[in-house]
Amino acid sequence: MRIRKPWTAWDDALDWKQLPGAMGVYELADADQRTLYIGKASGTSPFGLRGELCRHFTTAEALAGANWTHPRMGEDLPSIKGKARFYRYEVNHNYYSRWIEVLTRYREDHETLPPGNLEDPEQPPPLGRYHWKSEDAARGL
Amino acid sequence: MDFELSEEQRLIIDNVRRFIREEIRPLEADLDPDAYRLKPEDEARLEAMTNEMGLFQMDVPQEYGGPGVDTVTRTLIAEELSQHRAGLYAPAYGVFGSGPQGQLYNATESQKENYLWPTIRGEKHGFFGLSEPSGGSDPARAIQTRGVRDGDEWVINGGKLWNSGADTADYGIVYVRTDPTKGRQGITAFIVDTDTPGFRVNRLVQVLRSHYTTELSFSDMRVPHENILGEEGGGFALANDYLARNRIPYSAAGIGVAVYAHEIAIEWAKQRVTFGEPLASRQAIQWMLVDNEIDIRTARWACLAAADKAEKGLPFRFESSMAKLISTEGAGRVVDRCMQIMGGLGMSKDLPMERWYRELRIRRIGEGPSEVQRIVMARDLLNIGSGSR
Repeated sequence: MRIRKPWTAWDDALDWKQLPGAMGVYELADADQRTLYIGKASGTSPFGLRGELCRHFTTAEALAGANWTHPRMGEDLPSIKGKARFYRYEVNHNYYSRWIEVLTRYREDHETLPPGNLEDPEQPPPLGRYHWKSEDAARGL
Repeated sequence: MDFELSEEQRLIIDNVRRFIREEIRPLEADLDPDAYRLKPEDEARLEAMTNEMGLFQMDVPQEYGGPGVDTVTRTLIAEELSQHRAGLYAPAYGVFGSGPQGQLYNATESQKENYLWPTIRGEKHGFFGLSEPSGGSDPARAIQTRGVRDGDEWVINGGKLWNSGADTADYGIVYVRTDPTKGRQGITAFIVDTDTPGFRVNRLVQVLRSHYTTELSFSDMRVPHENILGEEGGGFALANDYLARNRIPYSAAGIGVAVYAHEIAIEWAKQRVTFGEPLASRQAIQWMLVDNEIDIRTARWACLAAADKAEKGLPFRFESSMAKLISTEGAGRVVDRCMQIMGGLGMSKDLPMERWYRELRIRRIGEGPSEVQRIVMARDLLNIGSGSR
């Protein structure tokens, strides 16, 4: 199934401490809340979901006062850079299989992967099939 | 029983051990700690190597083009293949080939043409559909998925649970109650294509390890009569034989993880100094290591005894249940002790211990819980139920 949480608009004034440092999966969306990218904060992601979300939305300069930075801060894929406005995430110890599940659901509904994932050097393993589309897809979401 | 390995077995084991240490373990440094697949380019390269070693598709019988590895050697190999981070559930990341489910060797010639051979060639993948929401340990009574004959077809309604790989599979072997009046003789195995109308993957079921199973539903799913695997009403015997055989390499894989964890803990105990002395000098640590060794050796002997009986064509159901119980419970204890020895490092994703700890917990339930293994053995001891020692 998809990540069921509502989209949250990125707010530059957000205190990054509010974001979890745990492992999990996340989605980024454009201003129309269309999914641009499905990512994961893995066991080796520095700073977990907090680090992954910050690297997409903010810059090293903006985090200058923080005691950490992500090594890939600001290095975004063309279809995400400057376009991502919303995010949602799920803390999940089993980030890897959950990442595959969310990608599989998306591909089944849209017959392709999100644009950011198509460009991502890290491709998922072969994805499975459900043989049905979700109700969200029927509503054009 | 001869406990010495033959020269050929020693050569094979040395080769596999070297392969795991030199080819598989180094790749894991760049993978997610919970990854269960290699990068495609590494997968292809390593499959070519296992082909060259003559061990690709080792579970495929010789008459079907496999290398013809005997059960005892296969058990020894299973212990080696799992000695890396993903090894318990993805031994060598599958580069030795996975082969078809054993029941397919009972297929008709046309079924072999459509399913067995393409699976051996790696063109098709199947899943095993036995457990249902109503239970998995007692399939003879728990199976409620119903098949009703309609001319040359069967109309199947119901669902399955805990089916690994059903979302990616081309077909599945699905166990269906075709005669509700006949108990275990009323269960039939069908080969079902996953693109059959009415076949649906409801959801993926996330579990303790980084893996998911599936929940399936079948709604008026029409399957041709010719897709019955084996005999009508013969599904239970087919499943039972498959489960008993599978328990031996399944058990040996648990030992491999315990062996690797034990090696890491021994190295650590020698190096780590606390209060001015290495950990290895502490009696508490020494006893933990000795208990590990006892658990490992006990499990290994139990697995080899089961494999030896299976290889000789003797009844081995009791031994395979005993091996499964001893190895899964023993390996769990070994990894638990190793984590205690390693301290904080044992909990971190820098080491594979935490992954094995989670995965081994599942092993005490998967392929028949410890309690069911005891039931199987008790039936033989007390001469109740079917089968004998």
